[in-house]
Amino acid sequence: MDLNQSMRLLSSWIAQIGGLGLDLLWRFIHLVVSLWYIVSGIIEAVESYAISLGLNKKYSSINIEKLRCLAVVVDIEEARDVSKVIELLQWLRTIGVKQVGLFDSQGLLKKSKDMILGTVPGSVLSEEIGEKNSSPDQNPLALEFISSSDNKEAVMKAANILLQDYLKSSRPENDKGENFFTETHLNEALRVVGENVHAPDLLLVYGPIRSHLGFPAWRLRYTEIVHMGSLNYMRYGSLLKAIHKFTGVHQNYGT
Amino acid sequence: MLSLLSSLLSLLFVFLISCCIITNHFSFRPLSLLKLLGFIKFTASRDDDNNYKRDEGTYVVGEEELQRELMPRHVAVIMDGNRRWAKREGLLTSQGHEAGAKRLIDFSELCFKLGIHTVSAFAFSTENWGRHKIEVKCLMSLIQHYLKSKIQYFQREETRVSIIGNLTKIPESLRQTIHEIEEATKSYKKKHLVLAIDYSGRLDILRACKSIVHKSETGLIREEDVDEALIERELLTNSTEFPSPDLLIRTSGEQRISNFFLWQLAYTELFFSPVHWPDFDKDKLVEALVSYQRRERRFGCRV
Repeated sequence: MDLNQSMRLLSSWIAQIGGLGLDLLWRFIHLVVSLWYIVSGIIEAVESYAISLGLNKKYSSINIEKLRCLAVVVDIEEARDVSKVIELLQWLRTIGVKQVGLFDSQGLLKKSKDMILGTVPGSVLSEEIGEKNSSPDQNPLALEFISSSDNKEAVMKAANILLQDYLKSSRPENDKGENFFTETHLNEALRVVGENVHAPDLLLVYGPIRSHLGFPAWRLRYTEIVHMGSLNYMRYGSLLKAIHKFTGVHQNYGT
Repeated sequence: MLSLLSSLLSLLFVFLISCCIITNHFSFRPLSLLKLLGFIKFTASRDDDNNYKRDEGTYVVGEEELQRELMPRHVAVIMDGNRRWAKREGLLTSQGHEAGAKRLIDFSELCFKLGIHTVSAFAFSTENWGRHKIEVKCLMSLIQHYLKSKIQYFQREETRVSIIGNLTKIPESLRQTIHEIEEATKSYKKKHLVLAIDYSGRLDILRACKSIVHKSETGLIREEDVDEALIERELLTNSTEFPSPDLLIRTSGEQRISNFFLWQLAYTELFFSPVHWPDFDKDKLVEALVSYQRRERRFGCRV
């Protein structure tokens, strides 16, 4: 019996040591993977700083003409820190972007509109561009403030306008509205509602999730969408890299 | 010799102990031993479907755990890259599309196995009519062939199949096949495969507006009844239980939604994969789902 007990004890020790060994090995693997991600993050940060300092010749000249309209989606939690948004806009102005749409789902940036316009030099509301020369700046940064109410609610209002126009119009009995409900008509109705229908070329999403968070859907048909991570950790180099990457994108629009 | 071996073992032991301390210090959360054994068991019998379910509520697939309760209810996919894949493999474009069709069957099968209720696929966009006529004809034939040959398969799998889009321009034979497969599978409720053929997100919204107009003319609704919910009910996705996708996957590295489900994608998690669609296998799907499950979606509200 002593031998059996000894064998059982020995088996138990072996099992425990084996378990400990496997556990340590597993932690080692996790350490290696974590170190890999840390190193990747460091490389990305270094690259970003190198781009910011102009050390990377590839990013020194960007064909910004291709980027006619840029949109920025900011998560509502991060939109509360307006200073970061202002810093981002200043960077975009430095890069040469001329038109920026700022979106957050609850309209927090809309409420801070005056502060942003007052702080970012050369910025004007996009509606004011083309009117009397309100900005002395030769290259103003046109800003548009957008929220969720400009998405589905706006389409709903535009649909109502189309409906009212259709019902009031004199049309043949068999007219099913084929000539009344086209993209052009809805564009026009959205303009009547006060919405901008220009589609941004590039949409930068700042926040924890890769979603456009309700940006006006009608405008997003062929927009490039890039997730930039948290606004709190934004880097000039990453921004430049994203815009540079966009300028190299070729779209065949489904054909 | 013995002393050298014992020194090496001691060094290794010290190293592993320090790894243990470091991982604890940096709050890494290594999986437990039990999960490691589960992983080893999975890799040993990789293709055995019985090993997908390890214990109740969780699936061990690859090195990560997917949680059933966090699985998306509706996954949409833009199947991009068939032509580029064919070019890379030295094949014809038609073979690329064929590989893409096969991949869709595998993809949807895997999604349903993982507990996803609805899978939507952007098979043919309105803009695709601008492609070469031969390619378009080939695509229509391919879709018809696959739908016709898979009717029994979908019945066996109890999967409902719906086709949405402007079906007026597609060949009559394909329209008949679509009618056939929709009728044959309309009673199934647990799995739903939606194929978007000749679909445009903008035209979907416009079509909803037109539908509202017709209903108002017949007195079913009044002008003031038009709201977001009404428009949503008139969209082509109204046949699905979950019209808004939780996750959208687009392959081939393109990072845009190309006029797909514009209204429905407001709070959808977007996952852009660099691989071409015919190469988007189980591992890539797991990667997308893991990415989805890690996100904190707030749907525009503060939680």
